[in-house]
Amino acid sequence: MLQNELFNNVIQDFNAGYWELYDGPEREVWSEKFYDSLGYTKNELEPKIDYFLEHLIHQEDVELFRDNFFSYRRNAINFKQHIKILDKKGNYKLFRCATNDELPVNIKSKISLVFFIEIKLEPEQDITKDNFYYKETAQMTATGSWYVDFQERKSFWDFETRRILEYADDYIPSLKDSANYYAEDSRQQAADLFFNCAMVGTPFNTEIKMVTANKREFWVRAIGKPVYNENKEIIGIRGVFQDIDEIKKKELSLQKSIDIIASQNSRLFNFAHIVSHNLRSHTSNLSLLVQLIEDIDDPKEKIGLVKEIKQISYSLNTTIEHLNEIVAIHTNKDQEKKPVKFQDAFNLVASGIGQMISMSKTKIKTDFKELNTINYIPAYLESILLNLITNAIKYKHENRDPVIKIKSYSKGSKAYLKVTDNGRGIDMKLFKDKIFGMYKTFHYNKDAVGIGLFLTKNQVESLDGKITVESEVDKGTTFIIEF
Amino acid sequence: MSHKIGLACIIDDDNMYVNLVKRIVEAKNLCNNLMVFQNGKDALNYFEAILTNLNKKTIPEIIFLDLNMPVMDGWEFLDNFTKIKNKLGKTITLYIVSSSINPVDIERAKSINTVKDYLIKPVTIEDLEAIFLKKTL
Repeated sequence: MLQNELFNNVIQDFNAGYWELYDGPEREVWSEKFYDSLGYTKNELEPKIDYFLEHLIHQEDVELFRDNFFSYRRNAINFKQHIKILDKKGNYKLFRCATNDELPVNIKSKISLVFFIEIKLEPEQDITKDNFYYKETAQMTATGSWYVDFQERKSFWDFETRRILEYADDYIPSLKDSANYYAEDSRQQAADLFFNCAMVGTPFNTEIKMVTANKREFWVRAIGKPVYNENKEIIGIRGVFQDIDEIKKKELSLQKSIDIIASQNSRLFNFAHIVSHNLRSHTSNLSLLVQLIEDIDDPKEKIGLVKEIKQISYSLNTTIEHLNEIVAIHTNKDQEKKPVKFQDAFNLVASGIGQMISMSKTKIKTDFKELNTINYIPAYLESILLNLITNAIKYKHENRDPVIKIKSYSKGSKAYLKVTDNGRGIDMKLFKDKIFGMYKTFHYNKDAVGIGLFLTKNQVESLDGKITVESEVDKGTTFIIEF
Repeated sequence: MSHKIGLACIIDDDNMYVNLVKRIVEAKNLCNNLMVFQNGKDALNYFEAILTNLNKKTIPEIIFLDLNMPVMDGWEFLDNFTKIKNKLGKTITLYIVSSSINPVDIERAKSINTVKDYLIKPVTIEDLEAIFLKKTL
């Protein structure tokens, strides 16, 4: 039949039936595939155009096909049309019918041919099936799809995007006000992502905070990628929003717990160090003393040494008391915070150390006008004031009477307390890292213990505050507490 | 050929410890004189003063240095002391004696040339004897 092998192969791959048209007399040879595609065998049909027009072709298509067919036969006018043909089961199947020249592939043949290429309806059925799965997936995973069309200057949302953003089904998203779909602190992030995707084609996959129609902020995973046209120009961005609010909130709360645990752990570690170091110095002395007692033969001397044990025992007690104070801070921090007036706390402290203040001729100037009350654990505020005031008096300048200025104020959402003295100051170059350490003293004072600032720092930090210090030798020192 | 140590030096702010070592040194007759500084600053001042008026009898042969001290701690003293020790014209053996068992401290101390050894408190009478004795060999 067909001479050209290559052509034959192409047809095979084409999976299409065809007619070969012969002249003198005019007749058509229907190919095997033509029968196959309709489910007939060769002897069931009469391979003639009249028979075809009468029995097989759908009525709607008869007229057009007859015209086309005969124009082609007589005048070699190529044609292309859709055509419905009755199969053996009694259903009409849709075919694309075309002549050699109208085919999308370049088929060279000396014989005139008419092809019948079946248009499969299955893909369409698949789409509806896929559509079902897509909807299910979207709903079950709370994942909405969207498309931003740069040519039309419009954005499109699917039903699920509207649902998770709490907009009505007929809501038309605005491209101009698209920033409003994001939480205020996420707008820059969103703008960066979309800009980069639109300009350079950088896809994104990120977590971002959005705002619903009801002004509820929630977390979504936003995934987007550029859409290109044939000229490789970016014509839009396609992507999804997945509602991950619950997961993200859990993650954030988990992260917060981890942070708290980490900070507690580091404090514990610090504390263990302090305990180990401070107790060791006493036990070392005890051990050395015992060795000495054992080593000495003179009973009188031995008894003399036993008295030293008393001293060690006293020191040990003091250390343990200090450690207890530190432990107390961390157990007390769950005490209830309540509004405390700075003035009240100060009065309490000032009357407690009234003698110290008057003996040292200390002048204290307070200014609580800007911020007179703070929500805090009252005992801590008193302890902080007490430590900073006694510190300023203890380390006063030898040539002048102490002047202490205490001021409370607020900046932004934070409350501050500033305590400035005119004392001898601390050499910040040498002691910057050590000021708040335990048992660190920087002066030759006999009553320097090195516990006050350590406790103050611990108290402030146990309530998530901060304490900083500025100082200049011979000028004075300023402590600033951020509550 | 042995000679008894003439002058030893303790730099430590723990009075109890200093007293006990003093007693041991006296009881065991380990050296003739013991000088004590409460912190690194006092000790450094002393050594810097010696530089202007060198007298070998006032330079200790052994230093026992604590690490945690007020005003100037052992590390800072070491930094400054290392700079001037060669000008003193006498070999000085320096031991760190600290209650710190922090491996970071121990490593750091051993990396400093000036430091002969790191002793962890409590020291024993035997330790002290061995150190003073080694010096006399």
